[in-house]
Parts: sequence; structure tokens; C-alpha cells
Amino acid sequence: MAARLRHARWLVYIYFRCLGQQMKAILAYEADFVILMISAGLVQITGFLFIWTIFQRIPDINGWTFWQVVMMMSLIFITEGVGSLFFEGTWRVSRLVYNGNFDMYLVRPVSPIVQVLAGAVGFNGLGNIVTGGALLAISLSNAQVQWTPGRALMLVILVVSAATIRVAINLGTAASVFWIRTPWSLVPFFVHQLGEFGKYPITIYSLAVQAMVVVVIPFAFVSFFPVAYLFNMEAWSTIGLLTPLVAVYCLFMAVWIFRFGLRRYESTGH
Amino acid sequence: MPHPRKYLAMAKASLEVIFVYRAGWTVNLIGSVFYVVAMFYLWQTIFLSKPGALGTFTWPQMKAYLIVAFILNSTMTWFDEWQMGQDVREGRVAIDLARPVDFQMTRLASAMGPIPFELSSAITIGAIVAIIFGGIAFPSDPAHLALFIVSAALAVLLKFSIIYCVSMTAFWTTGMEGVSNARMAVQNIFSGALIPLVFFPDWLRALASVLPFQGMISTPALTYLGTMDGPTTAFMIGSQAVWAFGLLLFGRLLWRSAVKAVTINGG
Repeated sequence: MAARLRHARWLVYIYFRCLGQQMKAILAYEADFVILMISAGLVQITGFLFIWTIFQRIPDINGWTFWQVVMMMSLIFITEGVGSLFFEGTWRVSRLVYNGNFDMYLVRPVSPIVQVLAGAVGFNGLGNIVTGGALLAISLSNAQVQWTPGRALMLVILVVSAATIRVAINLGTAASVFWIRTPWSLVPFFVHQLGEFGKYPITIYSLAVQAMVVVVIPFAFVSFFPVAYLFNMEAWSTIGLLTPLVAVYCLFMAVWIFRFGLRRYESTGH
Repeated sequence: MPHPRKYLAMAKASLEVIFVYRAGWTVNLIGSVFYVVAMFYLWQTIFLSKPGALGTFTWPQMKAYLIVAFILNSTMTWFDEWQMGQDVREGRVAIDLARPVDFQMTRLASAMGPIPFELSSAITIGAIVAIIFGGIAFPSDPAHLALFIVSAALAVLLKFSIIYCVSMTAFWTTGMEGVSNARMAVQNIFSGALIPLVFFPDWLRALASVLPFQGMISTPALTYLGTMDGPTTAFMIGSQAVWAFGLLLFGRLLWRSAVKAVTINGG
């Protein structure tokens, strides 16, 4: 047990060392860094303007208020930001495999998954986290939430779980490259696009779409269910409590799929 | 254009590149449909809960607007900016500089090449979505349809001229991702791609009306629906043309100062 813990601590240390190197590489291009941050902020501002314009015409969407919908959107952005800032490497796997550079990860004495996760830094993520965080704070201060210490703690747990689900989805779908060889992150991008459904209350969708974002690719647990829990929305709020469990399940599945794919990996040039 | 055949060959070559990776492009297009489907559900909910919320739009008209916006958005994606960034970063632009062709025309040709593929795929996907959601409004008058085709063609040209100007930043910055994302964010809100511009509050609508972006989605979509009167339609299509050709010219000026900033590695 103690040895395992030491190993885990060592992996975390390695992860941050790798990430640190990537950060330095990016910061060498100062203008890019600034532009990426600003563009991420712009995307969110336009998203906010869109929802705001809609709510100028109607008081609520299926009983969900303006600030609740803003909060769903902000959670999608924040979790996306965490994925880019700390785990952008998942988006580089297909390119690495395509170029044959993935072999590099396999000869190093560190888990390939840790190397994949620390493989790149996306500074647009920082922009996403900052603006998304601001939107989350504003929506929480404008909405009537009955705050208790438990609920406040739950907010932190929900945000962490939501981010974990996003990263797990990225990692699990990145493994698709071991089966479908493309130079681009084809399957990950496709699944990423499903996140669009997470920006609005799932009650507006048909049953098939709901089933997809709840069961198949659980984007509903990134935004909808956490918001439902925090605002105590009757039937939905209890399901929100399951979010941490869904996060653990997703992470477990993603690691399993990735390892399964790794066993199929034959390198290029065969 | 002194030698149209040269540029035609380039357009054909860039279409062929798409066909090599057709699976990838198709998956990308199908991925972008989730956004449209989410929009359909959102507007449907709004319309069902308060039919007056769409203003002068009927529900079939609103659906048509969303589909037209989706189809126009599917032409010329971030790929053109990304390609430009790569060419400058990896020094391939040196080859372009050495070629006896016009740089802007070369870019236009290779951006236009994939359009037949992009349009046919987007129309197929759009038609499927439209059928699932119970059909869309069609132009009531063949004249509207003819004007729409003119307006849509100008919209594509305008989009190219904007992308060309934006991609010139590749000569000063190395990463095009941020620039491309910023361009799309501004374009999405002010072109009317996210929401018809008439739904905006006055100050935002005023801002949109002095920017070139409305010519990319709003003008062709409203021409399709035929909701603008004759003089307004003529004025809007005219301003599309002025913006498109004006920005093409502006892009040429930018290019002139950009080549001075070029540093080719390994020379």
C-alpha cells in the first residue's frame, strides 16, 4: 500500500515536471499566448450574449431560468478549460501515433497515460477557466441557492467531478486512434461536439438525445445534473448527487479503454 | 485573372485533397450537426412555450433560417487559416512566393476547391435534419431563390476575403488557433449565425449593421425567406458586394506589407 502511494506521488510529480516543460515552450511565444487567452474569452462572451438575447424574449426555458442556463454553459466552458490547460495532450495522441512518435512514450519508464495527459498545454484553457469561473460566480450570486456548508462543499466536488468526466471522455476517445488511424483527432472531436447538448437543459431534447447525453456520453453530468442539484430542481437534483460516482466510472473506463488500445498498438511502418 | 486554367487546376487539386481524407471531413461535418440539432430543440422549446417569441418569424421560417445558416457555415472552415499558418511556419510560403501566380488568387482557388463537396454534404445533412423536424419554409417566389443564390455566392466570397485578411496575421504570430477562434466568435455573433439579428437589442443590432459579418449569414438567409422588401434586399446585397471586394483589396495591401515580415528558416 505504502509503495503504491509512493508510486502515485511519483507519477504526479512526473506529470507536473512534464507539464512545466510544455508551459515554458508555449510561453516562448508570448503573442500566441495572449491571443489564445483573448479568443477563449471572446467565445464565451458571444455564448453569453446569445443566451441573454434569448431570455430577453422569454422568462424561462422549460422552467429553467436565465442564470441556471448560464451556469450550465459556464460549467461546459470551465471543464473544457481544465481539459485544455492541464490535459491538452489527449488531443495530440492521434498525431503522435500517425507520425510514429508515440513509440517515444513507450520506451520511457513512466506510464504512457501520464505522459499523454502531460503532453501539451493549451493556454486557451486559462481563458476558459477565468471567464467561465466569472460566469459561474455571477450566476451563483444572482440565483437563489440555499447555501449550507454541505452544499458549498458539494459545489467544489461537483466542479471537480465534471472536469474529471470531460478529461476522461477526451482520454477514452483519444484511444480510438489505436483502431481508426487518422492524423486528426477524429473521434474525440466528434464526441466533443456532443458537448453542445450540455449547454441547455436536457428536458428540451427528445428521449433519444437525452439517453445519449445521460447514459452513452454523460455530458449531462458535466452541466445539467450539477446545476439541478445546486438549485434543488425536484426530481433531477437527486441524480446530481451521482456525479462523483459517474466521474470515477468514466475515469476507470477511459484508462481501461486506453490500455486495451495500447495492447493493439503496432507502431508505424509495418 | 489572366490565366484562369492555372487557378482551376489548383482548385481541383485542393478538392482532391479533401477526397483523400473524405472520411475525416464527413465525420467533421456530422459532428457540426449536433450544434444545429441542439439549436433546433432550443428554438422549438421557445416557440412552443411562447409562439410570439419568434417575432415576425414563423416556426417553418425559423427552421429554414437555421438550415441556411448551417449550410453557409459549412463552407470554408478554419482549415484555410490553419493551412496558411502552417505554410508560413514551415516555410512552404517561400515556394508560393517563387511561383509565377497571384498569391491571393491561389488562396481563393484552393479555398473554393472543396466547396462542391462541402455544399453537397451540408445540404444532405441539412435536409435530413429538416425532415426530422417536420420540414422548412421554401422561398415563395422564384425571384427570391435567384437572389438568394447571388447573395450566397457573395457571402462565400466575403467569407474568403475576411479569412484572407485574418490569416495574414500568420506572418506575425505562429499559432493560428487563437486568431481563428477569435474570428469565428466575432463572426458567429455578428453574422446572425447564432441568432437572427432582428432579435438583438438596438445597440447590438446597430453594431452588427456597420460590420461586414452580416453579409455572411443574415443577408442570404433573409433573402431566401424573402422577408426584406425590394429596395432593402438590393441595398443589402449591394453592401455584401462592396464589403467582399473592398476586403479583397485590403487583403492585397496587407499581403504587401506581410511579405516584408517573412523570415524563411533554413535559407
